[in-house]
Amino acid sequence: MKRSGLVLLVASSLLFSAAARAVVRPHYGGTLRVATAAAPASLDPVDLNQSGSLAARNLSYLIFDTLVTLDDQGRPRPALAASWQPEPGNQRWRFTLRRGVSFQDGTPCTADRVAASLRVANPGWKVFASEDSVVIERDSPSLDLPAELASARNGIAKRDGSALSGTGPFAVTAWAPAKKLTLAAYNDCWRGRPFVDSIEVAMGQGYREQMLALDLGKADVIEIAPEQARRAAAGGRRVESSSPTELMALVFAHDPQSPAEEHWREALAFSIDRGSLNNVLLQGGGEPAGGLLPNWMTGYAFLFPASADLAKARQVRGDSRQSSAWTLSYDPGDPVARMVAERTALNAHDAGLSLQLTSSAVADVRLVRVPIISLDSRIALAALAAAIGLTPPPFVGGSEQDLYSAESALLQSHRVIPLLHLRASCGAGGAVRNWSQGPDGTWRLDEVWQGPEKP
Amino acid sequence: MNFRKKLLTVFALTVFLSVAAVTAIVSAVTRRAFERDDDERAAALVAQFRREFSRRGEEVTARVEAIAASDAATRMALAVSHGSLDYGAFLNDAKNIAADQQLDFLEFVDNDGTIISSAQWPEKFGYKESFFSRSAPKDAFLRQETLPDGAALGLSAIREVDVGDQPLFAVGGRRLDKNFLAGLELPAGTRAMLYQNLGSGFSPQLLLDPSGALQQPDKLAALIEQVQQQHQETGALIHWSSDDLDDETVHAIPLTGQDNQLLGILLVGNSRRSYIGLRRHIRSAALVAGATGIVLAILFSGWAAGRVTRPVEQLAQAAREVTQGNWSVQVPVTSADEIGQLAQAFNRMTGELLEQRDRLVQTERVAAWRELARRLAHELKNPLFPLQLTVENLVRARQQSPEQFEEVFRESSSTLLAEIANLKNIVSRFSEFAKMPQPRLQRVNLNEALQSVARLFQAQLQLPDHPPISLHLDLAQPMEDIAADPELLHRAFSNLALNAMDAMPQGGTLTLRTRQDGERAIVEIADTGAGLTPEECERLFTPYYTSKAHGTGLGLAIVQSVISDHGGKISVQSQPGSGTTFVIELPRNPDKLPASRTDGGPASAAS
Repeated sequence: MKRSGLVLLVASSLLFSAAARAVVRPHYGGTLRVATAAAPASLDPVDLNQSGSLAARNLSYLIFDTLVTLDDQGRPRPALAASWQPEPGNQRWRFTLRRGVSFQDGTPCTADRVAASLRVANPGWKVFASEDSVVIERDSPSLDLPAELASARNGIAKRDGSALSGTGPFAVTAWAPAKKLTLAAYNDCWRGRPFVDSIEVAMGQGYREQMLALDLGKADVIEIAPEQARRAAAGGRRVESSSPTELMALVFAHDPQSPAEEHWREALAFSIDRGSLNNVLLQGGGEPAGGLLPNWMTGYAFLFPASADLAKARQVRGDSRQSSAWTLSYDPGDPVARMVAERTALNAHDAGLSLQLTSSAVADVRLVRVPIISLDSRIALAALAAAIGLTPPPFVGGSEQDLYSAESALLQSHRVIPLLHLRASCGAGGAVRNWSQGPDGTWRLDEVWQGPEKP
Repeated sequence: MNFRKKLLTVFALTVFLSVAAVTAIVSAVTRRAFERDDDERAAALVAQFRREFSRRGEEVTARVEAIAASDAATRMALAVSHGSLDYGAFLNDAKNIAADQQLDFLEFVDNDGTIISSAQWPEKFGYKESFFSRSAPKDAFLRQETLPDGAALGLSAIREVDVGDQPLFAVGGRRLDKNFLAGLELPAGTRAMLYQNLGSGFSPQLLLDPSGALQQPDKLAALIEQVQQQHQETGALIHWSSDDLDDETVHAIPLTGQDNQLLGILLVGNSRRSYIGLRRHIRSAALVAGATGIVLAILFSGWAAGRVTRPVEQLAQAAREVTQGNWSVQVPVTSADEIGQLAQAFNRMTGELLEQRDRLVQTERVAAWRELARRLAHELKNPLFPLQLTVENLVRARQQSPEQFEEVFRESSSTLLAEIANLKNIVSRFSEFAKMPQPRLQRVNLNEALQSVARLFQAQLQLPDHPPISLHLDLAQPMEDIAADPELLHRAFSNLALNAMDAMPQGGTLTLRTRQDGERAIVEIADTGAGLTPEECERLFTPYYTSKAHGTGLGLAIVQSVISDHGGKISVQSQPGSGTTFVIELPRNPDKLPASRTDGGPASAAS
């Protein structure tokens, strides 16, 4: 009898809770306080380089729109451009602009202004306006041009001296470079007015400070380091993690100087216990990586071996002993990088290889973290290759097989050994509603609204 | 070195050696005392270190026991027992616990020695700890800890977390480093250093003192290598610099681990500054005492030696005067000891010598007069005998042949006159010899004087009835003028040249030579005649001695008198068969030179 009563009580509570949630409607107003570890010195989209942080890209998307945007599957979708059409040969593209769009300073977003913005971001392109369209002409066939235009770097900005204006949902009201940014909702945004009135972004905050600010209610949205996400969630915080959007890899400074060195590099790749790196050091904040791009983007990444195989490592290394220790550099300001580097050196030692850690910038091997900046696989792979100093692969065709071949070629150069793909995590306070992240970790702050603090 | 100096040296040396011996003895005693004290201090320091080591070990053990009993260790042990071990869950546990317990090292390992969580090397989870053994000692022990950046020496303890089926072990420890050394309370003048024996041979980076890396670590290399080889406590004197004050006695104590492996070497340094300072003070005092003693010894020995050696020196001086001809010298007799007796004997000796000389001079003088009288009588006897015969002949003619008397008288008269003239001649020459005039000094050039003599005898050298005699003039140029009587010199040179010509009846070479020898002018007149025997040379200048058939025997005596009156001297050099050379040395007497040359010098006199 007692047990039946208890079951009824729990069931009624759940029903009441669901009903209460359903009746809370989105409402406008309020200020969203955001803390980031990144501290960009410029808001101009053209200053976003390939290794720019995710937070910087997220802030850019709040202010500036791109002609095209990518959906969660990486497919191009209309944004400022209502439609686009390639001419035969895919070298010349015409983008027809959405009508009635204005910059945040009230100026109409015309084809001339869009073309001017794109020319600043891409000096090598031929861009010109044609009535309500923008025509882009490349030197070679460019199938991925729409996806490329979706990158934050190609955000459409109206540059008036030092003043920047975009067509995004928020306009800049105060800006202290690398310190603080204040944004106000743009009422006439073509996508509709965002729910919150303003966003205050505190930059250059350490992860520990951000966590403290969230716990004290001084921040609504914070960044969380991948290795801290599990512990933060275990502490009862609201943590959202993206799909893996950052590559951690070992990058060799030079091509192999001999077949023996190729074998040593291959043996090193086999010796690394990526599972331990991810599960223990990263606390599950990522995925073991055998390829450069994560599996959620390509679907074939599992084909690249990511598990440790010490026997094979020793077999590949063969009888030839490494003549001298490789030096391995890492970012001394990144505690995770130091731990991963030390564990990698331990694993390498098991395979008879020697890695000597150094904080010097000049080293045989670098441990790098490179963000994946596009949901489009080809663009993401090319950007990754460029970021780690490899020649971007030529794509023969547009198929998945071509992408796989290109990535395999990069790996077989023995210049890079993928270790992990890291997730982007963030924490949100109890008053933040409708919070969501794109698979690439982009924030959708324009959809967020603030409700009463949850108990 | 004279007697006084020897005496003085002996005195000074005696004092110096005495002071040096005392100094050496005091230094040796001080050194032994210091070394004994040094050993005692080192032993006390080692004992203190062992106590401190033991105390630290107990502290580490207590902390590891507390860790083993903590909730965190219990949770970890339960996870191990349940087989649901998630290394990630415990990744930072050891680090956090070690920080709480103020330990430098902490690892949790399972029964197999697999690291569950490590404070010193968090990334080493899942690896086996090579040193681990369940039979680890109960007390803290020394061990080498492997770290990402190398190795370190630690004082560790192991405790089992007694929860669940599978045992878990907590291995904690503290690093033996400069902080450990700085924590040791050491007496003044001592210090502790630690060598971490983490590799083979000596590596300077592994040598620590409380301030960190040791300056000049290589100075200790030999000592450390000796301990590495022998595993025994040893010591050495280390010279850190050229200054003795920086010297240090260093005792090296091996520190071993579980399996008696040499893991470290404790070096206890004991400064010798106080000892060196004391030794320097002793030496300084000895130097002052020695120097004072030496000065006093010099003064005293000088006084004493003076008293002893003064009579000896007076005797020596008197002896030197005797050798120089002063036979009348006497030394004072100041004591009755051996020196006084010696002085008396010396005085007696000089007195007797003086008397003997007077007697000898008297004897020689009588002999000379007798010789002169004998020669003069002999000279006078020669004409007297014809006189006697002539007068006797006259008397006999008067008595026996009056008719022939007139003729005999006429003949005898001429004979008598001749002999009387001869007697007068002998007497005048003797008178002339006895009354040689004193030189009237004028400026004379000896070259010109000899040239004048050469011109005088030029005709006689080439007489038709006489074998030719060649003249060789070897005159020094320039020849400085001397103060002399030109006439007397001309007579002397002429006499010598005539003698030389007489000595060469078979012909030969007459050499006239001048040369300058400092303030003396040398004239040589040489012939190539038969030469003289040494006996002839000795008697040559004796009056009335002659080696010629018709000589008076006064020529060379007069020459010697002339030369002597000029302050010069004449000597003869001759060997039978190799000619004769007369060497005349004349002083220049420049202070007696007239202001200018007077007319009528030797040259004009010769002409």
